[in-house]
Amino acid sequence: MSISRVFPIFAAAFAVIYVVAVEANWALVTYHPRLNEWEFLTKPSKSGPAMHWFGWLGTSILAASAVSLAALPLTRRWQPPIWIGWVVPLLVMVSFLYFLRSFFLR
Amino acid sequence: MFTTLLIIHGLLAVALLGSITHQTAAACWPATSKASFVSAFRGVAGARYTVANIILYVVTGVLGGVIYTAYRIAVRPYLESAQLWSINGSFELKEQFVAIGLGMLPLYWFVWRTPLDAKLASARVAITAILCFIVWYSFLVGHVLNNVRGLFGR
Repeated sequence: MSISRVFPIFAAAFAVIYVVAVEANWALVTYHPRLNEWEFLTKPSKSGPAMHWFGWLGTSILAASAVSLAALPLTRRWQPPIWIGWVVPLLVMVSFLYFLRSFFLR
Repeated sequence: MFTTLLIIHGLLAVALLGSITHQTAAACWPATSKASFVSAFRGVAGARYTVANIILYVVTGVLGGVIYTAYRIAVRPYLESAQLWSINGSFELKEQFVAIGLGMLPLYWFVWRTPLDAKLASARVAITAILCFIVWYSFLVGHVLNNVRGLFGR
């Protein structure tokens, strides 16, 4: 059983979880750049802005790895289609255009 | 320190840009001869670029993440106060696209494994083209942003 069989699932899960993490602000960590301070999970800004991008990445890596590991036994008999590994991320990229449209429509 | 990191980030991005553009051209528009400049550009062995592209993508992304902290404090507030919304939004898109590309890297490595699987040819084209788009978009947005407001510039 090769772990590479779940790579399409990882790519698709990562993209979907990432867009949900961004929109729902599910950050694994929060960074306060003015204070040079890290906090666990999503926290509001203290002195200056709070950065959640690193946290969204962490959430997505952990959750997509968990989904891929859970799907690993299934791939003994079923090869996930490769296309889900690029079509889903592409759709998520397009969805970000929609979510961020207010920047471009002012 | 951030200015030095920004320059290194830019240089690595240039290397990645060239490397992944070569590979994308080889995947999308393969050439058998190398008679002209264009066909020689397309006629590279794409698989040889894969590991280098992955390393460059990750290292450039990590450096970008370090610089991002300075951007958040020094550059973005200026963009907001100057009401440069489309430029601000372009960077927001860049960070999301780069993150999605990061999640595609294992699959990118898989489809470029040698010996190349002919059944994966269309997936190779699509995945490499998407990553190439992300790299080009990120490079251009970063370049424009640096022109608008270099780190800690006046």
